[in-house]
Amino acid sequence: MILEVKNLHKIYNSGTHALKGVSISVEAGEFLVIIGLSGSGKSTLLRCINRLIEPTSGKVKFLGKDITHIKGEELRKVKSQIGMVFQQFNLIKRRSVLTNVITGKLGSLSTFNSIIEKFDKEVINEALNNLETVGISEKAKERADSLSGGQQQRVAIARSLMQNPKLLLADEPVASLDPATSNSVMHYFEKINKDFGTTVICNLHFLSLVRRYATRVIALKAGEIIYEGLPHEIDETWFKTIYGEEAEEVEIR
Amino acid sequence: MIAEPEVEIHPQKIIDRNKRKEDKFNFIKAILLDIFLVFYSLIVLQRAIYFKFILDLRELPFSWNEIGIIYLISVVTGILWTSTKTSLSCKLFGIAKDNKITKWTVEIFSWFLFNITFIAGWIVTKFSIVDIFSSEGIQGAQRIFGALFQPEMGIFDDALFAIIETIYIALLATLISIPPTLLLSFFTARNLMRDNKIAFTVYYVLRIILNFIRSIEPLIWAIIFSVWVGIGPYAGMIALLVHTIASNAKLYSEAIENIEEGPIEAISATGANKIQIVWYAVVPQILLPFLSFTIYRWDINVRMATIIGLVGGGGIGTMLMQYQGLARWHEVGLIVLMIAFVVWVMDYISARIREAIY
Repeated sequence: MILEVKNLHKIYNSGTHALKGVSISVEAGEFLVIIGLSGSGKSTLLRCINRLIEPTSGKVKFLGKDITHIKGEELRKVKSQIGMVFQQFNLIKRRSVLTNVITGKLGSLSTFNSIIEKFDKEVINEALNNLETVGISEKAKERADSLSGGQQQRVAIARSLMQNPKLLLADEPVASLDPATSNSVMHYFEKINKDFGTTVICNLHFLSLVRRYATRVIALKAGEIIYEGLPHEIDETWFKTIYGEEAEEVEIR
Repeated sequence: MIAEPEVEIHPQKIIDRNKRKEDKFNFIKAILLDIFLVFYSLIVLQRAIYFKFILDLRELPFSWNEIGIIYLISVVTGILWTSTKTSLSCKLFGIAKDNKITKWTVEIFSWFLFNITFIAGWIVTKFSIVDIFSSEGIQGAQRIFGALFQPEMGIFDDALFAIIETIYIALLATLISIPPTLLLSFFTARNLMRDNKIAFTVYYVLRIILNFIRSIEPLIWAIIFSVWVGIGPYAGMIALLVHTIASNAKLYSEAIENIEEGPIEAISATGANKIQIVWYAVVPQILLPFLSFTIYRWDINVRMATIIGLVGGGGIGTMLMQYQGLARWHEVGLIVLMIAFVVWVMDYISARIREAIY
């Protein structure tokens, strides 16, 4: 088991109770998709897993190690083993694509070398390889903000690949992309999952994408898990429970 | 283990409780403000309007006893007035009764305050149309404007050197300010310093110090430093430097506070340390605003360096002061024209550069 989350609670300083006792366990090689409305706690859950935020109570175990409240050097080491891709890509806009990809390696570079931006040949080659993997190696020298949304997201994926992640988290990676681009970006997650055996946990909105890529689905509602199962088992009734009575399924191909 | 609230309190109760607490607090604030407003009106009525305008006294009589009595009257009136919940302050803090009396008191009292303030200002500034159009005044104006159009070119060389000195004072103050400002701005940016208590204390103390330094005008700093290091360009430069650091640290740190959080989150998720996060996620986002602020500040500093010269900060301002003291208006005319020209050029250049880098 690569990840185990037990009875996790997160209460923000504002008083919002975002997670109410969430428990999941993830086997290595899975493509787990988390669905749910905005504000259901999906993002909070991902950020508790790679410890961008600290859970209020409960337990997060990564590779058998309790990481719920670790700090400092230990925490950075864990973070460097978990890749993350965001809805807004979160690239450094004014820097080149290559530099952006290399930032994925910062956890294992010395502070001094990374500030004078002196990178080993190996690191640069690794970055170029990863750009190759997501199919945009020809854009390496261009400024990150000159790329289209889909291309930027692929750069972000390449950046996370620099970490050689055992676990890849994706927080609504296609929510700001058009349908066609969404499919191509999801395709790269699938490729990474199948080719490198990287475990993927992904927050998604579109059920058609969920059915196509997920090996398992979890649905969150108001900070609690209300559904857990295989993607094709989500039927009309479940859909209405997860997204509310008003909801209607939108196809995306 | 689980941090669930033990006793469930109905949310409406919490809201009501907070509302009562807030009302009480607002009531106290309203009393204080009402006392102040009544006190202010009475003082203005007595001193500006009665003594100065109606009695037309040259020397205003002053006694603490009188002020004390006026203050006591205001305290009593203020408290009584606030208690009726119809006063202006009650309205401002949202605890007034919603009726006709409130509406009328608020309207009448606001008008009253505005008018007595305007009239008092008129009296204090000795506003006089007669002075502007008196024949003596017109002659003086003719002298100055005439001199402006017939500048004395004999001192052009000296003035040129002096104005170059001014530009250099401004340039050096701006350049030296950059490294300390950069450093300070990171320590005064809330989003970088809120992580732990020590950092937040540093942030808070630095902010207070910088606010204090900034609230003292460069002109006053120039007076302080002309005593400290002696009259001359050096004093002017340090005065500008001190003020530039304090003001730009605020602008810089606000630029840091306004950056996108996303890249910070992304870089920190790779396991990068604090320095790497700042270098890769913060610095690229603030470089351009910083550059823009700094160039703009140079432009401001050229103007300020001129003013600072008036109190002995060197450069063209000091020269202007000397000729003005000697009443040599043609020389003053030349200096004023040169200052206007340089300020205009600086303004134009800095605007162009700032346009270009964005």
